Amino acid sequence: MILEYEEKELKKKSIDELTHLFMDIISKQNLVLIEGIEYLIDENHEQFNTNMNHVIETTTEVQVKKAFESKIFKSKLIFSKADRLKLFNKINEIKNIGEFMANRMLVYRIIFPDNEFKLRLSRILDSLKLISTDLSTAVKSIGTDLNKAHDICEEIKEERRKMRKIEFQLIHRLYHYDMDYLSRTFLYLKDMVEDVMMLADHIKTFSEYIQFLSIKYLIFK
Amino acid sequence: MANELNQIMIIVLIILAIALAFSIGANDETLSALVGTGALKFKIALIIGGTAIGGGMILTSGGFVAKTVGSDILGEGLVYTTSMLLTVLISSILWLIVGSFAGIPLSSTHALIGSVVGVIITYSIFQGGVDPQTAFNWEKLGNVILSWFISPIFGLLITYILFKIMAKLYLTRLKGLNQIEISENYFKWILVIAVIFAEIWVGANSGEALGILYGLLDNGSISFEQYYLYAIFCGIFAFLGIYIAARYVIKNLAIQMTDSRPSEGLIIQISSAIILMIATLLSLPISHSHVIVFCIIGINLAQKKEIETKSLSRMAIYWVLTFPIAAIMAGLLYFGLMSIGFI
Repeated sequence: MILEYEEKELKKKSIDELTHLFMDIISKQNLVLIEGIEYLIDENHEQFNTNMNHVIETTTEVQVKKAFESKIFKSKLIFSKADRLKLFNKINEIKNIGEFMANRMLVYRIIFPDNEFKLRLSRILDSLKLISTDLSTAVKSIGTDLNKAHDICEEIKEERRKMRKIEFQLIHRLYHYDMDYLSRTFLYLKDMVEDVMMLADHIKTFSEYIQFLSIKYLIFK
Repeated sequence: MANELNQIMIIVLIILAIALAFSIGANDETLSALVGTGALKFKIALIIGGTAIGGGMILTSGGFVAKTVGSDILGEGLVYTTSMLLTVLISSILWLIVGSFAGIPLSSTHALIGSVVGVIITYSIFQGGVDPQTAFNWEKLGNVILSWFISPIFGLLITYILFKIMAKLYLTRLKGLNQIEISENYFKWILVIAVIFAEIWVGANSGEALGILYGLLDNGSISFEQYYLYAIFCGIFAFLGIYIAARYVIKNLAIQMTDSRPSEGLIIQISSAIILMIATLLSLPISHSHVIVFCIIGINLAQKKEIETKSLSRMAIYWVLTFPIAAIMAGLLYFGLMSIGFI
């Protein structure tokens, strides 16, 4: 699913291109993670395991990260160097959260309580997919159109607000099931919802950082 | 004996004037904007900046600010005595040391002119039998003091207008970070020229050291040839001041400026250089640091950025107080030396 890159090929790329490539890899990884949770909802455990393991085991981003770091420290872009590095690290943080989530989800085989829970969880995942893709577009727009990046981030923040509402509905539902749940199931589902929101929150914070960059660098009339 | 003492005082004054030129270089922060952009290697930037400040000092030593401080500010027929010059120097150095210990950025120009005024008034009343009203060239002194208020305001206005023009014509059209980076890269190189230009006028307007030497020339203590030789020494020592001592301040400031935009630094440097150039051509010694602070305010106002009024008003109080306090200190010092029969 995710290609391996030649070191020489990576060295030829600019800082901007490496950032885009890294964002693509992490974004794809995110989609694999979300797809994995969707398999879990469909009770396709085998495919779920494959996806989660893929998220954990992928190391392509390490190559890109190394190439980026060696370039940025030698770069002559003085005034935007720190921001470029911070941006890259924020992308990397998505990968870390994804890995953390995948590891946590593999610890136990869950059975969902009902279809309504699955449905609502699917809605949150759809939103997560959307904001994840939007974030990738926003990051790629930083180099060419900061205004566009700013507007996309506004949409991400709005979508995240919607997700928060569904999150509370899910948690509320979880606490009010009639059946006396096994604490493992309860904990797993609660953690899963919270982890999904943790990723969404990071994307939201990232969006705010992109908006900060656009205000910092753009000179308005 | 009196003649020997006078000779010693002249030598001390020449040494102090050259040391003052060194401290002018040592306190110069103009290069930090350039070093922060990484356009030039640090040592090369120091050499270019030092050469520009030293060159500016030497090239304008024949008149301009040095003549104002060393001669024109005084009333007709009045010349500095060596003891007056020594008191002026000691007093302004003392006030600057007090300022440094208190962590207050003070203007050496204001301190020096204040000290001149204090010493001349004391001399007129208690020693020279000169009417204090004719002891000064009031028109010149008035212009100098007026320029201290006008120059920062003009610095602010020029920066504000320059930024607005540049923003309207170019900066607001830049859409993405890549485009901004490319254009800032060009600005970085224009900044090199602007900083050299600014450094020349910083050197030219730093009349403290040459003013003292001009005072010695004016009272016949040194010849023209000697004056120019010492002026060259002052230029060389200003260069050394930057190269040896200012490097630490420049490096520290440059680190803080790494994420500032070269285009902004360019506008600030051009504005302050224009002000310093006009003031120098009008033979008016002004404070470079005051002009720079107001230029920074100008650029912040143009971008609707917040301005820290609290520290600014604190700074303004010390700016206003420097002149009278230096005058009082110098007056008292001169009176003290007079009372003990040293003068």
